[in-house]
Amino acid sequence: MDKIICLGRNYADHAQEMNSPVPVRPLLFIKPPSAMIEPRDQGQVPLPWTRGEIHYECEIVFKLYKKNIIGLALGLDLCFRDLQAELKKQGHPWEMSKTFKNSAIVTPFKGLKDFPSDWQNTPFTLKINGELKQEAKLSDALLQADQIIHYIDGFFPINDGDLVFTGTPKGVGPLKPNDLIELSFGPIQHSFRLVDNG
Amino acid sequence: MDKRKLSHDILNMIERLRIMHDLVKDENYTSISKEEITQDLAETLKKLEEDFKNLLQ
Repeated sequence: MDKIICLGRNYADHAQEMNSPVPVRPLLFIKPPSAMIEPRDQGQVPLPWTRGEIHYECEIVFKLYKKNIIGLALGLDLCFRDLQAELKKQGHPWEMSKTFKNSAIVTPFKGLKDFPSDWQNTPFTLKINGELKQEAKLSDALLQADQIIHYIDGFFPINDGDLVFTGTPKGVGPLKPNDLIELSFGPIQHSFRLVDNG
Repeated sequence: MDKRKLSHDILNMIERLRIMHDLVKDENYTSISKEEITQDLAETLKKLEEDFKNLLQ
């Protein structure tokens, strides 16, 4: 995989909760593959808690081949929110707050054949310690599947195997060590626990 | 000959082969048909051999 392409502010309700203007078009940024982890079901994800408060953003993730979606997963885009706010204030890029190790958590991918044909209307959810934190459908977003790929293609070279984090809806918030994360989207039901870096 | 570019292209082709393998293993032909994968496979293997030979020189 060459890169992880991420959309920022693709859901109006999330932009509003962050007191950010709803953009005409979403922002794009990139995470390196080295920031990614694919935890096994009921596995563990170590995170650098001592470096700052870590916030979650649950998102549908595409895997691309020849600019087609060949797989879907759910992901957590993590960030140091305080650092991100500081960088935003200074007009700097966000990468320093969003590219730490394990800041891109991705469930195993499932092929499109495993999803209903109207998968963009299929809800995805994030629960933390059994409590529902985020729920949305890609059809709620500003840009949807084909538009997202077309949009990215206008800015970045897309390589086979690239992943796309498609943006997060409202409900983002902080995480803490030992949180149990449950992700659900169509045939994907995946859970793991957040632990200390050790 | 730009060996760095050749190496980059070879690694991209290996990634492409891995994806093709996953598509076939999972019988995932919704976006890319079996025929298209077969054609991609032939083209990629041919180009991979050519680039590998060039890298060896």
